[in-house]
Amino acid sequence: MNARFHFLASIALAAAAVAGTADAQVGEPGRLLASNCFQCHGTNGQGPGFDTIAGKSASEIYQELKDFQAGKEGAGIMAKHSMGYTDAQLQLLAAWLATQR
Amino acid sequence: MDRRRFLGSAVAGVVGSTLLSCGGGGGDDSTVTTTEPPASTAPVIPSPTIKSRVIVIGGGMGGATVAKYLRLWGDAISVTLVERMPTYTSNIMSSLVLTGQRTMSSLSFSYDTLRSKYGIATVFGEVVGIDPVSVKVTLADGTVLTADRIVLAPGISFDDVPGLGTSDKMPHAWQAGPQTALLASQLNAMPSGGVMILTIPKTPYRCPPGPYERACLLADWLKINKPGSKLIVLDANPGIVIEVDNFTNAFTGLYGSVIEYHVNTEVISVDPNAMTLITTAGNFHGEVINLIPRQRAAPLLAVAGLNNATEGRFGRVNVLNYASTVAGAEKVHIIGDASATTQPKAGHIANQEAKVCADAISRILSGGSPDPAPVTNSACYSTITMSQASWLHALFQYDPGTADMKAVAAASGASTGWDVENFEDMETWFNALMGDSFG
Repeated sequence: MNARFHFLASIALAAAAVAGTADAQVGEPGRLLASNCFQCHGTNGQGPGFDTIAGKSASEIYQELKDFQAGKEGAGIMAKHSMGYTDAQLQLLAAWLATQR
Repeated sequence: MDRRRFLGSAVAGVVGSTLLSCGGGGGDDSTVTTTEPPASTAPVIPSPTIKSRVIVIGGGMGGATVAKYLRLWGDAISVTLVERMPTYTSNIMSSLVLTGQRTMSSLSFSYDTLRSKYGIATVFGEVVGIDPVSVKVTLADGTVLTADRIVLAPGISFDDVPGLGTSDKMPHAWQAGPQTALLASQLNAMPSGGVMILTIPKTPYRCPPGPYERACLLADWLKINKPGSKLIVLDANPGIVIEVDNFTNAFTGLYGSVIEYHVNTEVISVDPNAMTLITTAGNFHGEVINLIPRQRAAPLLAVAGLNNATEGRFGRVNVLNYASTVAGAEKVHIIGDASATTQPKAGHIANQEAKVCADAISRILSGGSPDPAPVTNSACYSTITMSQASWLHALFQYDPGTADMKAVAAASGASTGWDVENFEDMETWFNALMGDSFG
């Protein structure tokens, strides 16, 4: 997953270079998707709130969300929430969240 | 001029702290390398000059969040937040003031962090005019503000109720503030064995589960504090509009001896001196009446000519960027309860609409286009008793076919029943949500 993040990051850098601006913030993959987590887990997943997400790896975050989707973590609000995303979306948002420390 | 002063004072607060932690990933690094040494050792100034300006009108859940995220995510966007009040009073949790479980001050949130941490300029004043074409805002004191974009987050207003006039005998307490405290004092003064009435307006109104959870909470409070009292719930809708299982079970089971529930009962007029409601199902008298009128966007939408949906009540928007769909007003965005979308009117999802809007504006102002597949979510807890709650959730995906946000069925629904743990989680949720919006 780390390799995946570096891959994503290099896409962002390349995109910025192509655009000829320093504005690689725009269009960061996964960021807007991941922001759906912030209401309950704090801005950038850094709390305060329910479990802090920042600091976890992309594979950890992705696997937890898959477990929620599969009903392995009960039938609470997070299980319901996880079922709204496609697999590709989960991968994107997990990759972005893993950049937060 | 203004531009320089803004940079000097406001952006200084952002340097080194916020922008380092906000952008995340490779994006930030590339921003840094063109202008500054590595992020960890030196402050990062996003750009030598402000590239664009956004005015946000309304400092509620949507307005505060969009202002914050425009600064977090935007490429050197200056943000001015225009708001009437120096502090925000949260509607979320405000029914707990009625039962004495929260204070009004615990619902108060300042704009200090938005100013100091994110470099947002605040202007406390009344907007009297908006020119959507030239992107200008006129304040009551004559000040004219110009920008590249305007975001309207003015919230709701209430229909006039015939006969009510300026009487405060039938408060709505649906915009937390003086009316919340007023209704609390009226409830305290109510005799045991008395009758309280709560009216629910036709949809769409702010916070779909809100009136039902308030009814449940107050029924519990009445049972304990005003024995023998009755709570008459007059619903203008044909039935409970959301979380039907939980509220039905609570109304008929837990509160079967307290709540009397009437559907299709719309208030026609009122007589505040007689404490009587004249409705489509006859007259009702109560000692305390919580009259929640039908709702529309704040008057500002009509002033700007943007109230083009729901029979002129709300503003239709493009949900990819929340721009108004009124021709020529594409540079004015409407988020939160004032907009007409398939999403509920509530603070949690207004926060997410704000992020979609901020992301889209930051992309547009940098020459790009909005994310073609935004996702939003709505989540909340409902007080079923004074110590137990349920939860309610929905997740929305953009549907290119209808150009609307569409609820994902598997991700939409409520808890099965209610418990103490959810009530505790409600507190955690509230603190997190307010932190993400104002902190």
